[in-house]
Amino acid sequence: MTVTLDTGAPRITDRRSRARQVQFWLIALLVAVSILSLGQGASGISLVGAVSDLVQGRSIAPLDRIVLLDIRLPRLAMGIAVGASLAVSGALMQGLFRNPLADPGLVGISAGAGLGAIAAIVLGGALPGAVATLAGHHLVAVAAFLGGWISTLVLYRVATRAGRTSVATMLLAGIALAALSGAASGVLVYMADDQQLRDLTFWGMGSLAGATWGKVAAAAPIMLAALATAPFLARGLNGLALGEATAGHIGIQVQRVKALTILAVTGATGAAVAVSGGIGFIGIVVPHLLRLATGPDHETLLPNAALLGASLLIAADMISRTLIAPAELPIGIVTALLGAPVFLWILLRQRALVDL
Amino acid sequence: MLEARDIRVRLGRRTVLDGVDMTAAPGEVTAIVGPNGSGKTTLLRALCGDVPYEGRVLLNDRDRRSYAPAALAAVRAVLPQASALAFPFTVIEIVRLGLRAGLSAADDDLPLQALAEVGLAGHANRFYQELSGGEQQRVQLARVLTQVWWPVAKDGPRWLLLDEPVSNLDIGHQMQVMRLMRRYADAGGGVIAVMHDLNLTVMIADKVVLVNRGRILGAGPVSQVFTDANLGAAYGYPCHANRIPEGGRFFLLPHGKEPA
Amino acid sequence: MRLALSLLTMLAATTPAAVSQSPDRLLTIGGSVTEIVHALGEGERLVGRDTTSTYPPQVQALPDVGYMRALSPEGVLSVRPDLVIAEDGAGPPEAIDVVRKAGIAYVPVPDATDRAGIIDKILTIGAALGDESDAEALAASVDADLRATEAKAAAIPPERRKRVLFVLSNQGGRIMAGGANTAAEGIIRLAGGVNAVDGFDGYKPLTDEAITRAAPDLILMMARSGDHAPAEADLLTHPAIATTPAAATGALVRMDGLYLLGFGPRTAQAAADLAAMLYGGTE
Repeated sequence: MTVTLDTGAPRITDRRSRARQVQFWLIALLVAVSILSLGQGASGISLVGAVSDLVQGRSIAPLDRIVLLDIRLPRLAMGIAVGASLAVSGALMQGLFRNPLADPGLVGISAGAGLGAIAAIVLGGALPGAVATLAGHHLVAVAAFLGGWISTLVLYRVATRAGRTSVATMLLAGIALAALSGAASGVLVYMADDQQLRDLTFWGMGSLAGATWGKVAAAAPIMLAALATAPFLARGLNGLALGEATAGHIGIQVQRVKALTILAVTGATGAAVAVSGGIGFIGIVVPHLLRLATGPDHETLLPNAALLGASLLIAADMISRTLIAPAELPIGIVTALLGAPVFLWILLRQRALVDL
Repeated sequence: MLEARDIRVRLGRRTVLDGVDMTAAPGEVTAIVGPNGSGKTTLLRALCGDVPYEGRVLLNDRDRRSYAPAALAAVRAVLPQASALAFPFTVIEIVRLGLRAGLSAADDDLPLQALAEVGLAGHANRFYQELSGGEQQRVQLARVLTQVWWPVAKDGPRWLLLDEPVSNLDIGHQMQVMRLMRRYADAGGGVIAVMHDLNLTVMIADKVVLVNRGRILGAGPVSQVFTDANLGAAYGYPCHANRIPEGGRFFLLPHGKEPA
Repeated sequence: MRLALSLLTMLAATTPAAVSQSPDRLLTIGGSVTEIVHALGEGERLVGRDTTSTYPPQVQALPDVGYMRALSPEGVLSVRPDLVIAEDGAGPPEAIDVVRKAGIAYVPVPDATDRAGIIDKILTIGAALGDESDAEALAASVDADLRATEAKAAAIPPERRKRVLFVLSNQGGRIMAGGANTAAEGIIRLAGGVNAVDGFDGYKPLTDEAITRAAPDLILMMARSGDHAPAEADLLTHPAIATTPAAATGALVRMDGLYLLGFGPRTAQAAADLAAMLYGGTE
């Protein structure tokens, strides 16, 4: 590659242009996977059929309409939001902790959300009638969301002193908090009856099956708002890679970047986990794959992670909906079965470049 | 001007800097020297605002604390002694980090010119982590240059604050970097550098600040500060300042056949 | 008389979306519901079932829409049912909502842990199928069988009642047992036994002392318990279990889960089988 300064000859082609190309293909991938996903399902109803009906002026059969508009479409919307949230949150966490293995669990979200969900499942019956009817079937989701926020807040307070957040303290305190949550969850699991235990297990394995327009309307704006802050954090996270002192020297407001990152991750992951339970691997595998392909620059990493995460989750959802149709495989199982081997393969291939 | 007034720094129970005053003028290279543990790096860190300090630091007649982070980054750039890197960035990606938000990040001219200044023009797409320590230091210097590329701006001179900029480099690159510092100062910018090697200091510095045990032992032109008495007191070893016959420049060597 | 009253209340409680004509395509959720539908002779109308529906054997060939508490909405719709009859506790609620919204009739069937409950189930299902007369007949016959079983059970003097411990699972030494208000306790009572443990509801882990205090004469387990099917030897050598009279005589009985705990048409038979194991032959 030639280097020239200002003589009008070609500039260096570096990773940025490749990242832009990748972004184009990822957009195309997402569109393709989305269309495919709308057309696939246990009921055999096809998108092509519905579209051709519309085009020829016929109205779509009611069952078809319900399957497409009330089952598959909200599920697609939810899958895009959740997949993007999990992937971007992973990338943000890795940038904040300056470690490619960091994931949103490190700020205590998973521990708190899990505890919230378990508490709602096991103790929900004991709530006063008014509260129970208010929350309705959303009790578990709301409890998980609140649980995630509360635990992150606790961690943030513990790790922040004199206006400065220590990510190292956050990591260690997070381990302690996860242990505490685990113990509390254990007590609740002990109290649970057979049915509740099964509900817990299924929640832990994740699912997009409960996606309704109501849930999408409640959760998606939170996820999207959180994701919208990501581009503003990109330069800051790049700078943090050089260390907090240097990041400050180049004009980055380090504390603000840390606080906003934690806020964005808590919002995005909290909402995602609340509506879809425990889905793993997207937050680690997606950013890692992208860093290998186009580099760690967060300006391109974050939007590409959103696109790839969304596509992967929708693909996983398609598999979970069709593999053992008419029954459904919990999506967390699919992402683990796909994600773990891919992750191992990456690690084995790239041993030289992965250095903690 | 860059002024430090009555700087006190305490780390734990130790007083590292005990009421230090110094000034540095634009258009000059000011070197901060002293033995290990004297507080010279801490002094630089106080000037950068990296350690909590009592006293005042004035940058272009304004208290450093009154600058917003982005404004401060526009006025001064800092070269750290060592830099770890968490992710596999390439050289050009790191130098681009010196570009401030106002400048277009799509415009690679400045970063490439900065890389050329430090002799790494062909290395733009190499992985930073694969470079040698000296090369990495020069990449960081390119980033620093990108940040305050023009030595003088409307609201005053720009400042380079460098922590041991030539310590890891071979002679050729040491000279290259020192020429760079000289040019920056000659163009009206201010350069403050913590220096380790006294002979290199003598080659580059217009003013020297000699730090010993948290206090200033001497500040001023080289000939005034580098006296046998000062050097002996600071370094605890008899040192004699000699003049090279032609040009009259100093060189400094410890005296005596073996270590005492 | 009680039968008629139950019938009336059940008819009144059926959802407004009850079918007017006989539904052709049936989906049943819940093992006992499937059994009852078969017992009413409507087995050919079944187009799908859930994972817990395992009897009679021919239903296993039907498409499985998943575990009853984690149904796939599109999966349910994919078998194109006209009517869904589901045991209490089917879910998630969002899936049920979608089914209702699609205009498919949905009839919930209340849970049962005693004779009256089983009758209610049969009548509810009969009403939903438009098969009231068959349902009444089945209900009457089941009722008669169950009453006979109950009479035999009542005839056993309290001091001779055998103590039964229902073990749901033995996970690494931790015994999960059936307490009050469980199907396990229900079937034990029907068979004329006494639940060896009391003081808690549902299925809970027991401490070793509680097991020893329970002193069961017989240990009852399900024949297929999914992930936690312990070796019987393992269980009998469990330190606390080993102290029980049941371990001394090796009295450990396994029965098919749906047969034993489903509370459907075969419950009377299951209770009789259990009674025979407790008290031997014709007692």
